[in-house]
Amino acid sequence: MQNPLFFLKRSVEGKATTIQADQHPSSEYALYVKGINKTYPNGIVANRDVSVSVMWGEVHAILGENGAGKTTLVKIISGCLKPDSGEIYIDGKKVDIDSPLKAVSLGIGMVHQHFTLIPSFTVAENIALSLPLKGRLSLDHVKEKIKSVSEVLNLKIDPDARIEQLPVGLRQRVEILRLLCQDVKILILDEPTSVLTPIEVEDLFRMIRELKSKGKSIIIITHKVREALAISDRVTIMRGGRVVKTLMTKDSNESELASLVVEGFCPSLKIEHVGRGDPILLVKDLKVKGDRGEIAVKGISLVLHSGEILGMAGVAGNGQKELVEAITGLRRAESGTILIKNCDLTNNPPKSIIRNGVAYIPEDRMRRGVILTMSVSENLVLKNFEDPPYSKGMIMDKGAIERSASELITRFGIKASDPWITVNSLSGGNIQKLVVARELSNGASILIAEQPTAGLDVKASEGVHQKMMELKSKGVGILLVSADLDEIVRLSDRILVIFEGRIVGEFTRDNCDIQKIARLMLGAPV
Amino acid sequence: MELKLPLSLSKGTIRSLYKAGISIGFALLLTSILFLLTGANPFLAFYYIFAGAFGNISLAAETLVRTTPILLVSLGLAISFRCKVWNIGAEGQLYMGAMLGTITAVALGNTPLTLIISLFVSIVGGLLWASVPAFMRARLGINEVITTFLMNYVSIYLIQWLLAFPFRSPDTLFPESAQIPSSAVLPVLVPYTRLHLGVVIALFVALPLVHFLMMRTTFGYKLKAVGENPEAAKYGGINVGRTMLLALIISGALAGLAGFVEVSGIQFRMRPSLSPGYGYTGIVVALLGQNNPLGVALASIFLAAIFNGSTTMSRALNQPQGVVDFIQGVLVIFVLASEYILRYLEKKGVVKI
Repeated sequence: MQNPLFFLKRSVEGKATTIQADQHPSSEYALYVKGINKTYPNGIVANRDVSVSVMWGEVHAILGENGAGKTTLVKIISGCLKPDSGEIYIDGKKVDIDSPLKAVSLGIGMVHQHFTLIPSFTVAENIALSLPLKGRLSLDHVKEKIKSVSEVLNLKIDPDARIEQLPVGLRQRVEILRLLCQDVKILILDEPTSVLTPIEVEDLFRMIRELKSKGKSIIIITHKVREALAISDRVTIMRGGRVVKTLMTKDSNESELASLVVEGFCPSLKIEHVGRGDPILLVKDLKVKGDRGEIAVKGISLVLHSGEILGMAGVAGNGQKELVEAITGLRRAESGTILIKNCDLTNNPPKSIIRNGVAYIPEDRMRRGVILTMSVSENLVLKNFEDPPYSKGMIMDKGAIERSASELITRFGIKASDPWITVNSLSGGNIQKLVVARELSNGASILIAEQPTAGLDVKASEGVHQKMMELKSKGVGILLVSADLDEIVRLSDRILVIFEGRIVGEFTRDNCDIQKIARLMLGAPV
Repeated sequence: MELKLPLSLSKGTIRSLYKAGISIGFALLLTSILFLLTGANPFLAFYYIFAGAFGNISLAAETLVRTTPILLVSLGLAISFRCKVWNIGAEGQLYMGAMLGTITAVALGNTPLTLIISLFVSIVGGLLWASVPAFMRARLGINEVITTFLMNYVSIYLIQWLLAFPFRSPDTLFPESAQIPSSAVLPVLVPYTRLHLGVVIALFVALPLVHFLMMRTTFGYKLKAVGENPEAAKYGGINVGRTMLLALIISGALAGLAGFVEVSGIQFRMRPSLSPGYGYTGIVVALLGQNNPLGVALASIFLAAIFNGSTTMSRALNQPQGVVDFIQGVLVIFVLASEYILRYLEKKGVVKI
């Protein structure tokens, strides 16, 4: 049953007018997409008869799990992909969008999940790159344009700041600003909050509301039900490449949306907090240098016990990365010791750390976690390809590798048509599942998980959490590094707060105070 | 128009075949234009090249003889390039292997083991010469493209000096070594040709071994992992530096072997003009064969055929022999461009994979 409100059109002022269901798409729709079908060359059907309408001055959320077809749909709308069939109307006029450039000229622009800015260029230089410039480049002219656009929308930005010096939230703002300088009227944001801290998310939402009030249409892709509820006017739920339903957000609620996203979903995770065992990871007075030679970890000591989840809360860039890399052998420790199961493994190579039972889910899965141009099977044995049964001596056993891969693909629900297809043909969420599958299945006694559920949908996150709980009950010690405070508080037995390379607070489940943790994360006095 | 290959091969293989086809097609097209400019009929020219390479048994045997050093060098380079270690120094490694192999053979004289020991020494020679840039790369992070390339000159000029003074043959006027003893000569397989045992070493020993090493062993896995994503390889516990080092010295070893096989199968003396640039031809071949040993074998035969055929062609049509270098040059350009050309053709719907 379609929600009757589907046919309502809300104008900027919030007045509702009725439109006939089968009426020709009128100019009242900013964007009307009809009957989109898309099958990828590898046989995966990403979109089946997808129709969506977006009005002027509307925030429209597209909600769904990984692999539901959201990104494919917006890539088609923004000209990055060609649909197999279907029609797109802008302002009631049928258009043929064959390139991202054409999309921009029609007023559609997209902010990708992975930013497309040149780090060593300034804000103005980056924006100038995407503007049609004839002859001489006048940066002053560009700066004026940025100033006028940003003032109207109350977006503060320094046009002379270099991108590499800006925090992620501001980089995203530059991406949005760049589209606005190109006179884009329909903005598509693909998972915009996945890289942001809670405070930056608030900033982004404020900006979205501002844009909306200026009559722009915003399409926001998300897999987080709460986000869709917080920001959108209407929400379209996708599942398995189809549109399940389009709803007025204010008439819906969290559990209804969640059950639409995942058919018959109800959160079932049991969080058990059993007694912890012996210490298995001991870090003492660890000092580690960062990429620019600065001391990033300034003397951290911590203990991780078996059967314990130790949460490390902190804003990205406060030394978590360097700490984790030193523990896993990927970065040299300047001083201090790392004891794993009472063995001093300080500055040992990664191989010896892996052999000693440390699994690691890295934050940057695309660059570190997988080799995109190698097959799913080969990636699944990245950490144990030299061990039996995958190889005997130097000779690898393809059969054994394939059997193990097929088993993991089924067990972890990785959507791959064949264990030998290359990883770059999988969706981002499925790549994360692959990494998680590899790390959680190799019988480790210590798991270091950096943002293990970032970018995963509700069901997959639940699956990862479930698995972590299972490991914990088997006595595995887990160091959970996450910017998602909800996740940390929900799962951790103990929480450490890291700020500027030091541990600035420790909480147990009993004395856990979220407000206090949040303030400590920002270095504010408690 | 839609082109489709009738074979049921994996997508990667089909792509590789298309890329090789595109490279060769464009290279021959450009060469045809060159022939037209110099007043020759391109069809006739290609006919003479083909006839000169495969026209009769002895010509075909000569082509296989020419294939041998090219194949040995390019198999090694395929290993190194698979790991994205760009060894441009195979020429120098080849000379060093040949020189040390020759010195050993001459010094040992006629013994039953002369051939085996000399072959072994030539492998070690190429390996050692390559190990200098390999250590510089693995330990100090110095770009191997520059070091391997510059060491070619060091190797070749050093050998010219060695041949002019300390190891000069007493019985010739030219700067060249003494003749190697008969027990160090690779036996001829087919009478009245120069088809020697080295052909068997290249095609039936080195080729299967390298194929097995790259496709079936953990070392092959490491090569690929390090080449495709060194960051992830390191995270997976692979010693990235050591893998690169091994890849480079193995390619040096095969180049060294190629050098002495050329001496003991064809020249019987070490000469400063031993190689007409096999070390560089190997680069073209490894790229054209896309680092796949079987592809490399086909590409070796292809380039050997052009080498030999163009001699016949230049005599028949009074054309310069430099066309060999021209074809090699444009091949490199189009091999590097072929991925983009193929993507363009796919986008236009001309090719469907």
